[in-house]
Amino acid sequence: MTKIIINGREVEADPKEPLIHACHQNGANVPMYCYHPGLSPVGSCRICQVEVKQGNGPARVVVACRTPVVEGMVVDTEAPKAHETRRECLEFLLKNHPLDCPICDKAGECDLQDYAFAEGQGEGRSNEPRRKLDKRKSLGDVIVLDEERCILCSRCVRFTEEITKKPQLAVVDLGSRSTISTFMDRPLQGNYQGNLADVCPVGALTLKAFRFQARVWNLKKSLSTCGECSRGCAITVEVLRRKDVKRFRPRYEPKVNNWWMCDTGRFSSERHNATERLVPAARRGSQGLEIASVERALKQAAEFLSGAVACIGSPFMTIEEAQSFAKLCSQLGAKPAFVSPAPSGLKDDLLNTGDPCPNRRGLLELGFEALSPAASRARIAAAPAALLAGERVLELCERAQLAAIRGPRIATFDTHALEGDACDVAVGIPEQVEKSGHWVNIDGHVGKLTVARAAPAGVQALTRSLDELRALLTSSGVASR
Amino acid sequence: MSNYPTYLLDRAKITDAHTLAVAQKHGAYEALRKVLKEGISYAEVIRVVKDSGLRGRGGAGFSTGMKWSFMPDPVTDPRPRYLAINADESEPGTCKDRVLMEQDPHGFLEGCLLSAYAIRAKVIYIYVRGEYRAPYNRVLAAIAQARAAGLIGKKILGSDFDCEVWMHKGAGAYICGEETGLMESLEGKRGHPRPKPPFPAAFGLWGQPTTVNNVETVFNAPFIVLRGAEWFKSMGTKTSTGNLLVGVSGHVNRPGVYELPFGVSCREILEDVCGGVWKQRKLKGFLPGGSSTGVLTAAFIDTPMEHDAIKQTGSMLGTAAMIVMDETACMVRAHEIIARFYEHESCGQCSQCREGTQWLHQIFHRIEHGKGRMEDIDMLVTLSRGMAPAKTICALSDAAAIPTLAAVQHFRGEFEDHVKQACCPFLPAGTKRPVFAGAH
Repeated sequence: MTKIIINGREVEADPKEPLIHACHQNGANVPMYCYHPGLSPVGSCRICQVEVKQGNGPARVVVACRTPVVEGMVVDTEAPKAHETRRECLEFLLKNHPLDCPICDKAGECDLQDYAFAEGQGEGRSNEPRRKLDKRKSLGDVIVLDEERCILCSRCVRFTEEITKKPQLAVVDLGSRSTISTFMDRPLQGNYQGNLADVCPVGALTLKAFRFQARVWNLKKSLSTCGECSRGCAITVEVLRRKDVKRFRPRYEPKVNNWWMCDTGRFSSERHNATERLVPAARRGSQGLEIASVERALKQAAEFLSGAVACIGSPFMTIEEAQSFAKLCSQLGAKPAFVSPAPSGLKDDLLNTGDPCPNRRGLLELGFEALSPAASRARIAAAPAALLAGERVLELCERAQLAAIRGPRIATFDTHALEGDACDVAVGIPEQVEKSGHWVNIDGHVGKLTVARAAPAGVQALTRSLDELRALLTSSGVASR
Repeated sequence: MSNYPTYLLDRAKITDAHTLAVAQKHGAYEALRKVLKEGISYAEVIRVVKDSGLRGRGGAGFSTGMKWSFMPDPVTDPRPRYLAINADESEPGTCKDRVLMEQDPHGFLEGCLLSAYAIRAKVIYIYVRGEYRAPYNRVLAAIAQARAAGLIGKKILGSDFDCEVWMHKGAGAYICGEETGLMESLEGKRGHPRPKPPFPAAFGLWGQPTTVNNVETVFNAPFIVLRGAEWFKSMGTKTSTGNLLVGVSGHVNRPGVYELPFGVSCREILEDVCGGVWKQRKLKGFLPGGSSTGVLTAAFIDTPMEHDAIKQTGSMLGTAAMIVMDETACMVRAHEIIARFYEHESCGQCSQCREGTQWLHQIFHRIEHGKGRMEDIDMLVTLSRGMAPAKTICALSDAAAIPTLAAVQHFRGEFEDHVKQACCPFLPAGTKRPVFAGAH
């Protein structure tokens, strides 16, 4: 570590990282466009100007992203000269920027907007016509490019070169005619395109799926973990008006995903906007599945859950849910198991593990047995009664084939219950974005889930339902073993 | 006109000097022979060149011996090292390297080989401007002849010195004449200049130690090695030693490339060497060193053509490519063209340069075409101050800003006339400026 002075305070800085990193680590507000902590610094946008003094040399204004940290250097990020240079730079950046913030999806989380608001001149001096370019250039299924908004920071180019290692984007043409393009305008490929919209500091690269969907300041952001594979990327869940999950975005987590996530995970947010949910519970009556109270449904389940019950959990169960489930299994004398579907085939060498079970490691460590969908069904078919619990458990056991099983009486705890499902009792549970808890990822890292959206009224947490069921079983004489 | 000692263009004036036989008859490869036969060490070559005070002829005027001594010691740093020759001469007004490569390619190659010897490089890349077909072909033919004669390749002249020479043609971008842009281009990438540090001596071509020298710079080296530092210092001034090639263009009677010692006054160059301003007209202004050096008024014509004296006027020596403008020239128009060139040639990496060069051109264009406002003139100044000095990765932004600042400083009245009259006062009534289409 190297000792340097930032804004009058002596701090320790990593000599392998550029000066801007040390500034940000120590709370100094240095703006940046081309610099991204996950990408190589190119020093082209010139906005991160700070004043640096080394030894007895004169104070110089330099770009912090290309300045190495040197022992004893004195850095002033708020020097008038640095601010002046940044203001000039900002004026140039805004020269051809369309300022269509009112219709831009990035507005509200745009680095250019934020910094122009904080430091800009308020009034433009240019009365030249702005650059006219393609406002909506499709770059494949995921991303749309607005060439006019682009400030040519080249973060997206470096992302494809350095992170996915499949270079697809380039700056084409020279000078003020430069634009971002794919080779011969071919569509972008790969499972990491969504990150391009995240690294873009302005609204040039936006997600087609998020285009004109919401103003970002209306989105409530909650910390969570992606459930699409056993990597468990740290994410934020962004919910509009307490209802629609609009976005999953990666959250910086150096032990897991750094700043990135795959498109499979990113767009799995769609799944959480299903309108038909099981609220609060149902039981099979003469008219098929009839809505019932949770209490009534649990009581009925407690009546038939005895003997050699097959207990199958979902790999989406959190550690907390799994613990309740395991206690219930132990009371029923069953071995806890979870359904483990076949690999998704999406495995790559960046993040996606191809294993669709986000909490596999956590469940295995709790002593759960992993069963293939077929093995799960066989275990259910062979038992007089079955307990299926956890988000998507019916889907993962392959709903249609599960429905064909005749014989055992089945209680399910899932977000959905369809008329054709093989269940006698169904209790509604919260979804991934509606619960708090923990998952353990493939490397043993504990990912946290928090409540991004309240579960539908009446639906209670799976842990509570399982614990209540266990209490009912105790009082009806099924001894805890 | 006084008689000055010459050496740079002596051989170039001889018929067929581009052939090895004629060139060798007139002294080509003598310095290389001397160094290799007498076993003069590379350190000695660097010392002589450093002592001679030779300054780079590519525009910046940095000490060549000093630049060579920045190359790491091959004992502690055994990485391969390269010499890249900057023959991308693209500055508007500059055409000196072309003469050397076309007329005396063997003298140039000898300079390359000696410079490579000094920095212990085994490979030389010559990066030639794409439009320079004749110089390219001449040097290519010279390389073949020299190789056949054992002057290039393994064990040159029976010594332990191995050196290969490769030529590379640019594709027409001015920015590839910037040393790090040149290296990127040589590597097969877009000619985007690299941020410094790291400097080429530590991290150059393919990440290896590299020195980039101008054609005229290395051309001087054999003469210094052969005739000594004292001889070299006897020409020119105290801080700018030797002779340099002055390329004069514009409104003069005899434009051309002339060999003159540093310190000759601009008036002598204009009046004695080039026969004065053409058509009996008066001098209005001149750019002393190419399009990126600030314009000077006729009052500065007695300035000596030498680094420090020109710097004191607020301009730069650059490549000593003097562009002369007579009293009929419109300074706004001239600078509109210069601004247009820099807009076209900006690589587009840095915000200030990409947007600023375009902005300057737009303002110049409006003023010239009668749509200017008084506040535009001050805006040219404030915008230029936002672009320079040293606010960007390379100096192209400075090169666009410096002539703008100088033009407003020295010819503000002309700008105001354009705005007041809402047209160009130098345009005969009833005529229109042609509007450019396409590239410069």
